[in-house]
Amino acid sequence: MAALELLSAEGFRPDGRRPAELRKLRARMGVFAQPDGSAYIEQGNTKALAVVYGPHEMRGPRSKALPDRALVNCQYSMATFSTGERKRRPHGDRKSSEMSLHLKQTFEAAILTELFPRSQIDIYVQILQADGGNYCACVNAATLAVIDAGIPLRDYVCASSAGLVEDAALADLSYLEEAAGGPQAALALLPTSGQMALLQLDSRLHEDRLGAVLEAAGGACRAVHAVLDRVVREHVRELTALLGD
Amino acid sequence: MAAVAMRLPVARKAVAPSGSRGDEKHLVAPGDTITTDTGYMRGHGTYVDEEKLIASVAGAVERVNKLVCVKALKTRYNGEVGDIVVGRITEVQQKRWKVETNSRLDSVLLLSSMNLPGGELRRRSAEDELAMRDYLQEGDLISAEVQSVFSDGAVSLHTRSLKYGKLGQGVLVQVSPSLVKRQKTHFHDLPCGASVILGNNGFIWIYPTTEQKDEEAGGFTTNLEPVPLSDREVISRLRNCIVALATQKLMLFDTSILYCYEASLSHQIKDILKPEVMEEIVLETRQRLLDLEG
Amino acid sequence: MAAVCLSEAEKLYIVHGVQEDLRVDGRGCEDYRCAEVETDVVSNTSGSARVKLGHTDILVGVKAEMGTPKLEKPDEGYLEFFVDCSANATPEFEGRGGEELGTEIANTLYRVFSSEGSVDLKSLCINPREHCWVLYVDVLLLECGGNLFDAISIAVKAALFNTRIPKVRVLEDEEGSKEIELSDDPYDCIRLNVDDVPCIVTLSKIGYRHVVDATLQEEACSLASLLIAVTSKGALTCMKKIGKGSLDPESIFEMMETGKRVGKALHIALQKILDEEESLGTTRQKVGFLG
Repeated sequence: MAALELLSAEGFRPDGRRPAELRKLRARMGVFAQPDGSAYIEQGNTKALAVVYGPHEMRGPRSKALPDRALVNCQYSMATFSTGERKRRPHGDRKSSEMSLHLKQTFEAAILTELFPRSQIDIYVQILQADGGNYCACVNAATLAVIDAGIPLRDYVCASSAGLVEDAALADLSYLEEAAGGPQAALALLPTSGQMALLQLDSRLHEDRLGAVLEAAGGACRAVHAVLDRVVREHVRELTALLGD
Repeated sequence: MAAVAMRLPVARKAVAPSGSRGDEKHLVAPGDTITTDTGYMRGHGTYVDEEKLIASVAGAVERVNKLVCVKALKTRYNGEVGDIVVGRITEVQQKRWKVETNSRLDSVLLLSSMNLPGGELRRRSAEDELAMRDYLQEGDLISAEVQSVFSDGAVSLHTRSLKYGKLGQGVLVQVSPSLVKRQKTHFHDLPCGASVILGNNGFIWIYPTTEQKDEEAGGFTTNLEPVPLSDREVISRLRNCIVALATQKLMLFDTSILYCYEASLSHQIKDILKPEVMEEIVLETRQRLLDLEG
Repeated sequence: MAAVCLSEAEKLYIVHGVQEDLRVDGRGCEDYRCAEVETDVVSNTSGSARVKLGHTDILVGVKAEMGTPKLEKPDEGYLEFFVDCSANATPEFEGRGGEELGTEIANTLYRVFSSEGSVDLKSLCINPREHCWVLYVDVLLLECGGNLFDAISIAVKAALFNTRIPKVRVLEDEEGSKEIELSDDPYDCIRLNVDDVPCIVTLSKIGYRHVVDATLQEEACSLASLLIAVTSKGALTCMKKIGKGSLDPESIFEMMETGKRVGKALHIALQKILDEEESLGTTRQKVGFLG
């Protein structure tokens, strides 16, 4: 079998996108009634749900409470039917534990936790359908859910992946492109300040190329930010109009 | 008669920009710079970075003199002194109860901030401490007033008035605290035949109106007689109306609830929660409220 | 389970209401809450469905995978159930918190749906003793608002109705080695007959009466419930008592009668909605979670 061509001579990717183009991104805030905040996001065929509970009193041992800020607790899980081949367990494996930790670090950097001493904020994300960029979709969904819950954030957290194929940097990789095994990076950005909340580079990449990959990822993050911002503003405008007063 | 209704989900209709007052408001999202003017004071929902005042939540900007706040559309309950709340006892501790009020931290009700049965005024004795679970136990609902707010945001309650205390038979509805309109009184005996307590924390208690207020009991004996069917019908209808108003995001106060109740009268109680009926009656309520304002 | 705590007076109010056939939300004892059903919501499964019943929100995905038949039933395929009580529903389910409930529900589903005559398991066999289809039915609990079992069974039935399994052919060469060939046409697939697939009706005993489709608050007032599986023809295929209380034989028979009656109505409503959705064709606008 011939190796799949990830970038055609005309500069198109297997799904017809340009190198810097994102997949179609759709999102909604306030999906569920019971949690404090919730959101759903679709990035191409990757679909993720996020819910936020809190800030609330510590669950379990009170000794875990932090005297000066809120504890951020995250769980990343994947529906057993989300992947091409059925997953045995939704969470608890090494990969999801790592993802949970990443999420926690990302949101500790973004949430103004010092406003809520001794309390706890739970962020639970769930991949319903996996088609590449799972972590990034989760971060984006979780950002919307945190905003929906009215928890103060320094800024949005927007995430996107990027990879390198024959000198060209590709943004927002699909599963097909991820599976090809080229160098790839995941980046979570606070877009206004340009601060990076998470940066992860898998596999070897020449130092000279890093700039191009990061630039592609950063550009994609800003594009994601534009979409998320539109979703949030629409949501806020709609609700304020309804509430009137 | 078994009734099973199933339907396909319908796509949400986008609310068209109505040119209403919502558009005049200054709406912001996290990370937006509100002002670079250093003369302003930082309020809730904002933070200062490099001398810029930046929003940290999504919502409308509110300015009171020099103070700038952003009010989020939906949050947990932020206690303020004097608020009326409805809460549920979660734990009985030494000399105090822990109360769930949908705040960030559990609220407390001290034994000393409570009227003793019969409204008696005296020092709390060791016997009172032992009998705490007889007054209020886990799961019990109370109405109370916010006495003070601690530095970490936790709320301390008191029930030192005969109108507060343990709640008897009735129905609780939980909505977002931002949907409860602040008013002079949050206790309403509605003309339709039932009473509501609109807790500032979004807990709404609907209960049968009592003929004569039993002052002597001091709110610790609960009436365990069955509530008559006619009262139940009113309470169930009110409950569904409040759920409908909250789902359609209309502010809750006595007039809006009453209007919605009247709009719902042409429907059966259980039909009120059907999406199209909810939409219809809330729209009618909204229109009547606008007419009222003139 | 996500339990709610109620005061004694609130419980009393609910119990008296059930007695008078007027529940807190205005329903009678045999009324269901308004349910929303949508199929084909996850595109990388063989079949999927989402059901919302009040605040209970269930997503079911069915994946067909090739496997070997079980030794005792060499000419049948089989169903595997897994229930994920995700932390989405309540923080109590975080980590391993939802496992116990998940296993309990999965075991019930095995009993209800793998029984004789529910799904034609023989049609899942490709060649006896060697290959068969295994249907992995994965239930994801997204929000928990009472009456989980009924909602899950509705979602499972809808997802099975939606399931499409690719057609395969078994090719045998001279030496007797077999090869399986998948049909090239993605639309060439078999569908399951779900006419005899049962639905669960849970009857919660509250006071002296019983109700269907109990909310979380009503579940808190009920000491014991009877869970019965009913087919569209009103046949009872499985029964189980749940909850910590006990039931007397007389009320069990009463509950069975109600269950059969309500179950039939449930099947009619579900089939109607599934047919209605199917008649909209492939151009149907999907709502999913964006709705």
